[in-house]
Amino acid sequence: MKHLLILFALTSGLLAQQAPSALYVSKNASVTLYSEAPMENIEGSSTDGKSVYNAATGELAFNVAIRSFKFQKSLMQEHFNENYMESDKYPQASFKGTINEKPDVKVNGSYPVTATGVLDVHGVKQQRTIKGKLNVNNGKITITSEFMVKCADHKIEIPKLVFQKIAETLKITVTANYTAYNKNPTN
Amino acid sequence: MKKVCIVLAMLLACHTLKAQTDTSSADAIMSSLSADDKHEDVIATFKATRLIFTQTTETVKKHNLNFLVTHRFGDIAGSEGGGSTLYGLDNSSDIFIGFEYGLTDNLDLQFGRSKFEQLIEAGFKYAVLHQKADDSMPFSLALAGKAGLKPYSVNTDVFDDYTNRLNYMAQAIIARKFSSSFSLLISPTFVRNNLPFPFINGNEKDYIALSAAARYKFTKRLGIVVDYAHPFSSFRNNSTNPKFYDPLGVGLEVETGGHVFTLNFSNAKAISEMNYLSDTESSWGKGQYRIGFTISRMFDLGPKNKNKKQSNY
Repeated sequence: MKHLLILFALTSGLLAQQAPSALYVSKNASVTLYSEAPMENIEGSSTDGKSVYNAATGELAFNVAIRSFKFQKSLMQEHFNENYMESDKYPQASFKGTINEKPDVKVNGSYPVTATGVLDVHGVKQQRTIKGKLNVNNGKITITSEFMVKCADHKIEIPKLVFQKIAETLKITVTANYTAYNKNPTN
Repeated sequence: MKKVCIVLAMLLACHTLKAQTDTSSADAIMSSLSADDKHEDVIATFKATRLIFTQTTETVKKHNLNFLVTHRFGDIAGSEGGGSTLYGLDNSSDIFIGFEYGLTDNLDLQFGRSKFEQLIEAGFKYAVLHQKADDSMPFSLALAGKAGLKPYSVNTDVFDDYTNRLNYMAQAIIARKFSSSFSLLISPTFVRNNLPFPFINGNEKDYIALSAAARYKFTKRLGIVVDYAHPFSSFRNNSTNPKFYDPLGVGLEVETGGHVFTLNFSNAKAISEMNYLSDTESSWGKGQYRIGFTISRMFDLGPKNKNKKQSNY
């Protein structure tokens, strides 16, 4: 039993030691989607994106809840959740990958970057390389990106029997502000 | 030996953690940040504010206007049906034109007019409770109320004053979305006809009815709906001339983005609750069922934003 306790102590010590130093967190990243359609433009936005960026390894994780997207028209919002994204089955869209350039976040500046990884939308994973921009301003990081998502790539069905025609490609715009991750959160 | 095993397992766990270094803690942060908010409302229990007969728990959202056209044709079979009336298509048992406007996301106002008894009605529906994804609230509840006026003397000559022409209905609608494809509702209803309708000796002014309806979607936009109602009225249950039957309808519901279209078969001739609950004298068994349809079109009358948001980028 004694040995076990010692090991416990050791283990927890190890865990504490490897508390990350280069982690940056964004808790309310904005994500907008936009598509021009013949009858009316589709436009929705969320300010509830979550992201973690590891400046040492370049690893980037991004998540947004589908239900957090708000639309001007309530019916459009319902159809977005119910008919297209099936948010009860696939509640989140995510990206998990690596920023290839790994800019030095100690130096202020604006760096064009590319992130390679897996984009998971509507439960369908796609390998993607997405262009963006990483800004550093006194320890604060902002990542912005604009990219296209093809509905067909993610098995988002566009039925023929819809009067309001919907574009097959959506423009996604992401803006995420990161702050250094607090190692000892209050909880 | 057991102890050693535990120790080994722990050491192993320790090493795996070490090997993953920052990634695992990044994942941990990520999952703690984006824990699913299961407390949110379940949406779209039904696609429309009405099924075949009954109202659903869906209300028209703020600043939206729902325009409804509902039609019931004549008997398909039986003495009034058959080829000579093109299976009832030559006749219209009832036509209903209605509007529903959302004052808030939970409260709408309703207005409509039926061919059946020339009933003009005004009412409201209020969504009181919303089913939650985590089942902290397992069902949705809406309350509906309506007052109707029959301005013209139709079948009776006893409309001596306007109070005799008034009818009321109050309804509680309880619904649950069991899965993305299956939703069920039951609704107890109270009906009051100031003059018993139909106007027959022994008929009651007040009675209670119970409706049950379900929707099963077999594609995202196509579903089967079944709608049934039973009035708990001893007069209606015991009367032999005329004989009353419980309204029963089956239909197909198609959503086409903005429109919801329901094609149905029902024995009830009337469309308004105050009419079909009070007076359904036609029977499936006698061929007195009909084709019916509902077209529901939602208009968004809310303030437009002129895509100015895009200029941010």
